[in-house]
Amino acid sequence: MRVRGATILAPVALLALAACTNEARTLGPSLPQTAPAGNADPRVPAYQANLYQVAQGGRYFMWYGCSGCHDDSARGAANLSDGRWRRGGGFADVYRAIARHRPAPAYEATVPVEQLWQLTAYVRDLPAHHPEKRRRVTLDQEGEPQGSQWSGPQ
Amino acid sequence: MKPDPSLLEQLDRTWRDPPGLWGFLTTVDHKRIAARYIVTALLLMFLAGMLALDMRWQLSVPENTRMTPQLFNESFSLHGSTMLFLVSVPLMEAMAFWLVPLMLGARNMAFPRLGAFSFWLYFGGVLTLWVAHAIDITPDLGWFEYPPLSGPAYSPGHRADIWAQMITFTEVAALAASVNVAATILKMRPPGMTLARMPVFLWAMLIASIMTMFSMPAVMLVTSMLIADRLVSTQFFSVAAGGDAVLFQHLFWFFGHPEVYIIFVPATGFVSSIVETFSRRVLYGHSVLVLAILSIGALAFGLWVHHMFAVGLPRLGNDFYTAASMAIAVPAGLQIFCWLATIGTGRTWFPTPMLWILGFVATFVIGGLSGVMTASAALDLQLTDTYFIVAHLHYVLIGGAIFPLFGAFCYWYPKATGRLMSERWGKVAFVLIVGGFNLGFFPMHLLGLEGMPRRVYTYPAHMGWDMLNQIATAGSAIAVTGGLVFAANALCSYWRGKPSGADPWGGSTLEWATASPPPAYNIPFTPRVDSLTPMWNGGAPLPALDGIAIDTREVLVSSVTDAQPLYRQKSAGPSIWPLVAALAVSAMFIASIFTPWAIPIGALPIGAALTGWFWPNRPRAKIGALEAAP
Repeated sequence: MRVRGATILAPVALLALAACTNEARTLGPSLPQTAPAGNADPRVPAYQANLYQVAQGGRYFMWYGCSGCHDDSARGAANLSDGRWRRGGGFADVYRAIARHRPAPAYEATVPVEQLWQLTAYVRDLPAHHPEKRRRVTLDQEGEPQGSQWSGPQ
Repeated sequence: MKPDPSLLEQLDRTWRDPPGLWGFLTTVDHKRIAARYIVTALLLMFLAGMLALDMRWQLSVPENTRMTPQLFNESFSLHGSTMLFLVSVPLMEAMAFWLVPLMLGARNMAFPRLGAFSFWLYFGGVLTLWVAHAIDITPDLGWFEYPPLSGPAYSPGHRADIWAQMITFTEVAALAASVNVAATILKMRPPGMTLARMPVFLWAMLIASIMTMFSMPAVMLVTSMLIADRLVSTQFFSVAAGGDAVLFQHLFWFFGHPEVYIIFVPATGFVSSIVETFSRRVLYGHSVLVLAILSIGALAFGLWVHHMFAVGLPRLGNDFYTAASMAIAVPAGLQIFCWLATIGTGRTWFPTPMLWILGFVATFVIGGLSGVMTASAALDLQLTDTYFIVAHLHYVLIGGAIFPLFGAFCYWYPKATGRLMSERWGKVAFVLIVGGFNLGFFPMHLLGLEGMPRRVYTYPAHMGWDMLNQIATAGSAIAVTGGLVFAANALCSYWRGKPSGADPWGGSTLEWATASPPPAYNIPFTPRVDSLTPMWNGGAPLPALDGIAIDTREVLVSSVTDAQPLYRQKSAGPSIWPLVAALAVSAMFIASIFTPWAIPIGALPIGAALTGWFWPNRPRAKIGALEAAP
């Protein structure tokens, strides 16, 4: 057992060094209370590189009705998964494009700050998503109050 | 029959492993494989027990901040998954691996290399879950991960995949082990041990193995469907696309309920062996015990819905499962009374293994009674997802399976090591564990009735749950202390214990016929059996059957019902291929978490490993039916 342990521990140690924090889940009070200070804001990786935060952004993307226009068949600027960003692809750039959305509404008036962070992380992650996976996720979330189906607080 | 020293020497040359590391990696000795299983599972029991203690610490006072909700979720998921999939079931299989050939007077299992493969694959499952935990990808949805919560939408990342794939590992390992145990019991019995003269222990292991074969495929299927939903976006559990989320629960519990009995039935085997030996009489109602185990095995497949009463299935269906669940109290009660009758009418003495049996009877009966309560669909709606369930499941699993297992550990420890465990420290551990356990878990019944939900990381101060929670925490701390005493006793006795000799307890079955610890070839000769208790023959030497080769690995194969000797069978020797095959399978399982291409590509090394494994090792036949064409 001891010898086998050593052969196994080596790759494990390597893995641990490269420890993936992208699975981390912090449930608690929201961290950011303000908009990102720039594309290099130190708070960005906690959202952009975290699978849970990105997935939460995906839920809000439907709750707030974003998916109404920005679906898979959207063209031009409305297509968010083609990797081209009309107003810049940095975190703060995309955040601003959502917060001061044109055409109206400007979502900073209705969406809490942390959810805007999560939405931004999701939108910037979209080019990496497979369409069939996105459709599958949408199917599971169909029962949630989203876009025009929302009927007020429960 | 007194064996000749030169015969023993020849047998040892034939059956011993190569020395050193190579021998360690290639061994097919069922005793070494089983010992690995047991040591690994006991270490995991310790780790998962520490998780439990940590959770009790968190719950000892209201609004404690020892754990975040996420850490609590991860802790109970890891605790449950480890205890159910990596500790209980493998431990029972390991006991079968260790004891079945000895109790049959056989030299090895029916499929020696499959046994080695089973362990390596199980070890792969252990590493999958615990290495993932070390790098913070711990499953966090409990020991059954229902979709849609575990589906692609609500469980991003790989936490749920790790859980699902760990199950695939352990279930393939369990199937391999069960096939092996069942084939060994059915086809390798010594002459004279007809089905009617088979000890209850062997019946229990046979029935548990067959149950494993029928139930495990359901959970492998369902976790594979979950992985497919998550990896390649299939829609098995997507309600909006015509899938069915409840399907997961049905398939999971179609495995999950029999699993409880796959853990409990071997324990009834331990109890029967221990009770018989220490009561100094043949078990009261041998046939009743066997039939009770058989009917538990059959009923176990017909009551999985009692885990799902709150799902909203049709009322009539729920009633049926209520009836089936309550029916299982009948065979379980018959067993208990048979054991009590044996104890009451024998010349009984009470060393540590027997104390564990008393602890088992008391605790398991309480667990059984709360089981009858939760079996009622109407009452279950009130009790489900409360601490009442936590109390019930620990009473039946720890009281019904782990206490007998501890008893079995003390009972067969001298056989495995050649030394006796300390009786005094054994009694201390017994009192601490059984007392601490009851102190820790009994208050949970009341907490559940008072409405405390399970799987909550904390609770507010004014609920009136503080005192009972503190008692529960104190109880679990005492039980863990007892566990440490037990482990220390086992470790110290390994070096310092009193030498036990071959048969310290005056046991009734064949494993006591050989030396302690048993040599690589198990027993010098094939015994002939003419009663249920072959060792209780008034001290006469066991009659033996000769004619099995000693210069090559050979075993006796006999007929299923009458155990008539049929033919001599070559038994596979040490081989590296089981380990290679397990590594190839592990690589494929792990990679398939990340990409579907792992399955076709990963099949190639598996095919190569199996080719090496089954490479013919004798020349082609020149005569007879298998004659090679020129």
